[in-house]
Amino acid sequence: MKYAGLVLANLGRNKLRTVLTGGAIMLAVVLVCLLLTMPAGLDALLDALASNTRISVHNKAGIVYPMPHAFTRKVRQLDGVAAAVSTTWFGGAYEEAGRVTFPNFAVEVEHIRAVYPDYPIAPEQLADFERYRDAALVGRQTMQKYRWRIGERITLRSTVWPVDLDFRIVGEIADEHAPYLWFNREYLDQALRATGRPGLGITGMIWARASDPNRVNAIMREIDDMSRNSEAETACETEKSFFSNFFGSLQGLVTIILIVTGLVTLCIVFIAANTASMAVRERSGELAVLKAIGFGRRVIFGMLLAETAVLSVVAGVTGVLVAVGLTRALRVFAGWSPALGPLGNFLVTPTVIVDGLFVSLVVGMLAGVVPSAGAARKSVVQALHEVF
Amino acid sequence: MSSVSIGVPSTPLIAIRGVSRRYVRGPDDIHALERVSLSIPAGHFVAFMGPSGSGKSTLLNLVSGIDRPDEGHVVVAGQVLNELSEDELARWRARHVGLIFQFFNLIPVLSARDNVALPLLLTHLDKRERVRRAETALRVVGLDHRLEHYPRTLSGGEQQRVAIARAIVTDPDLIVADEPTGDLDARNAEAILALLRQLRHDFGKTVVMVTHDPRALRFVDDVFHLDKGVLLEGDDAERAHAAIMLAAGHPPAGTGTGR
Amino acid sequence: MPLPLSYSLRNVRARPTRSAMTAGVIALVVIACTLFLGLISSLKRTLVTSGDPRNLVVMRKGSDNDGASQISLAAYQAIRYFDGIARDEHDRPLVSPELVVQPFFRTRAGGRENVLVRGVEPVALQVHDTVRIVAGRMFAPSAHEVVVGRGVAGRYAGAELGNTVEFGRGQWRVVGVFDAGGSSFESEVWVDARELGNDAKRVYPYSGIRLRTASAADRQRLEDRIDNDPKYALDAQPETEYYARQSESANSLYVLVVGIAILAGVGAGFGASNTMYAAVQARTAEIGTLRALGFSRGAILAAFQIEALALAGLGFGLGAAASYGLSALLAAAVGGIAFGASTFTTNVVALRVGAADLIGALVLAVVIGVCGGVGPAWRAAHLRPIEALRKA
Repeated sequence: MKYAGLVLANLGRNKLRTVLTGGAIMLAVVLVCLLLTMPAGLDALLDALASNTRISVHNKAGIVYPMPHAFTRKVRQLDGVAAAVSTTWFGGAYEEAGRVTFPNFAVEVEHIRAVYPDYPIAPEQLADFERYRDAALVGRQTMQKYRWRIGERITLRSTVWPVDLDFRIVGEIADEHAPYLWFNREYLDQALRATGRPGLGITGMIWARASDPNRVNAIMREIDDMSRNSEAETACETEKSFFSNFFGSLQGLVTIILIVTGLVTLCIVFIAANTASMAVRERSGELAVLKAIGFGRRVIFGMLLAETAVLSVVAGVTGVLVAVGLTRALRVFAGWSPALGPLGNFLVTPTVIVDGLFVSLVVGMLAGVVPSAGAARKSVVQALHEVF
Repeated sequence: MSSVSIGVPSTPLIAIRGVSRRYVRGPDDIHALERVSLSIPAGHFVAFMGPSGSGKSTLLNLVSGIDRPDEGHVVVAGQVLNELSEDELARWRARHVGLIFQFFNLIPVLSARDNVALPLLLTHLDKRERVRRAETALRVVGLDHRLEHYPRTLSGGEQQRVAIARAIVTDPDLIVADEPTGDLDARNAEAILALLRQLRHDFGKTVVMVTHDPRALRFVDDVFHLDKGVLLEGDDAERAHAAIMLAAGHPPAGTGTGR
Repeated sequence: MPLPLSYSLRNVRARPTRSAMTAGVIALVVIACTLFLGLISSLKRTLVTSGDPRNLVVMRKGSDNDGASQISLAAYQAIRYFDGIARDEHDRPLVSPELVVQPFFRTRAGGRENVLVRGVEPVALQVHDTVRIVAGRMFAPSAHEVVVGRGVAGRYAGAELGNTVEFGRGQWRVVGVFDAGGSSFESEVWVDARELGNDAKRVYPYSGIRLRTASAADRQRLEDRIDNDPKYALDAQPETEYYARQSESANSLYVLVVGIAILAGVGAGFGASNTMYAAVQARTAEIGTLRALGFSRGAILAAFQIEALALAGLGFGLGAAASYGLSALLAAAVGGIAFGASTFTTNVVALRVGAADLIGALVLAVVIGVCGGVGPAWRAAHLRPIEALRKA
């Protein structure tokens, strides 16, 4: 590393250029990270919320087709099913008329915990949830988005049921990925009856937890067999599969996002290569002198490459840090949205960070190879062979 | 000031009175010129000579209006240059001065004809007239067969001739040349000097030149010697002149020196 | 007095590699922005063309889309004879009661999507007059037949003319394909309302009503009358407004595009700046000469700014051409881009880069050119001729 001083001095030679190039690479890395957080958000959602023992039971025809609520009990009684709970889409809009901005469901409060033991909810909050009819449990993502507090009262106007309901938030699902709001289905049933309609006899979905992950497939078959030829034939799938399918329609958008990410990465190549070649061209006289003095070609190539590499790495690290900060800010404004779904979570996972650094270092360095090799006057292949 | 007179009217075109120029370079305070005064008659071909750092280039820049003196004034063709603002100086240069540089300083992306026509863009002439004058100027310097060539396809001597054509295309009173032969071989250098002489002889132009080249002595009317920012006079001037003549391979005795 | 345009343009050409790389960066930024802008405008265009300004959408109060609403037979029969509703040549009111359900469909690629199935009566074709059967025929009632929109045909298993498609609780024969002027109707499947109601076991026969008003004046009156009806809690709005609200969900994507444009644009601007600064540095003697010859600072500034803009223009040209090609490639490879709207349905959008999108990208390119070039142009213009001409 005795050449470190020389490398740094050369970077400081034209400060404006170093700053401009570094800035450009940094912005490109920020963009790459931001874009990658979108599909990563999908994967992260699956990892965080989906369990390998949970089974989703829904009407084979579609999730907007209902099932009889009584079917939940039958599922619960099956051998190997540790717990089962029915959840029904309420479609409640908060404040903005007619726009559902987070998923909200009417659930069986006495069974929900048993099906979701992995969700972090404080026991006393759960107790309140079971005790008070108008209680609601809210996922941290939505809590943060609207800055709600435990104890706050909110009103949701349903877009699918002819009722509006007031809730008291008694607890939080303490996971950043969780957007749900859960409330007592009895409350909805009661409200429907009050309007003169029959109560809540149906359910939208049933979630079951298997006591043994190896028995999941068998259980799913049993449930489907049980419902065959009935009013509501079911189709079971694992929770992971359910989410994948549910967000499958985002695939087109993800494709475009990945294409754009690739384009931006290419930008980094051009920018770094351009700067390196400009620097080399201006210093050709000096480089000739160095060679005359006795600096070998390999050393010169290495030094020039190091300049590009140092710049790229510093810019890349800065970019990643900025991306982390930016996404934190974005999360407050975005989060789950109808158009983007979990893509709008902008979660910077470790994968995203590694990708960002990889892009800046490797891509930046590769971009510098050709000009550096040219300066050291050797073929690129030969240069790569000798250095790596 | 005596001069090798050749029957040309000696109303001074250029009058320099008590001019000083200092500037700061890094930690040093450089006195480029110290109270220099001289006159140059119209229609003369004059050389500023001296060792490196003598201030001859600075003096040339003051004459052409590219630089301003800290003290004293420079009067060219009746115009006191000090009185003009930056933009006014630029306009004055465009109309009254033709510039020739050591490294030719042609615009690489323009053809010979377009390079020569460049100063005409600063006038109100229409395109056809501009082209005509540019071609005329190139004919004067003997390059009308190279109109479309780009600088990189021209030899050093040809490039300098294009530069000279550019310098005369606006028909200025004054032509200023900074080391015009510095980057040329012997044959081309002689040709350029002869061309400059021709401008003075056939077209009555005043030509002021900074040079190291001893060959120049054969072509110029007057020589001004400078050393360390001071104009040499009397015996000092004679000595400097003699030294140059020696370097040129001429005998040292009795030839006219400017004062 | 300005320097000729050719001076700036030829200087761009004189350094081909450097110019190409700088223009390349700008081109990539242009492509990125154009693709996203094209996506959003394609989505919006689909939704905007869906609404007929003469039609009203009637739903249960509080519902945000006709899939979530329920309308009773009594309500439908009452509304049918309200004043102000247009009538056809047989004096029948142009009122289309509809049942919307979103069942699963299997895609050709093996995935699963919610598709909007609309149960209709024959009058629907008159109320939605942009819908035209272009292949096959309209379904016959009580025959378990469907007609599919153009966006549906070919995307889902069995969804082509003559074949059978599976949804809900059975199989349905595809007897026709319809075109709807590029609107979201093309992502729908139409079927007999009664058959759908039976299949989906719906209590309420209809989910919404679409009606054609007789005149613009009637429209407002009808809207008010339906909104204020004491017996049925209903909500009426112009069809154009209904779809405009659906397209609001695309607005969050605009935030994304603006973010990308800013970040990428600034980065590209830095790159352009770099290149121009190097150009100024390399041409110091040339600039000094021009100043010595008498060209003003303004002329030099303009010349370099134009050079930067020329690079940006080049980048825009390359980027625009590439994004056309890319979107065509995507269309061929992926087909339509599917959007899962908040209405639990899949909107298949054909990505098309339009003039407005290109204008947006052009503005971006120009801003990059101006901002990237202003610094170096300023430096070039303010070089002191003496400094610039100082011999090496």
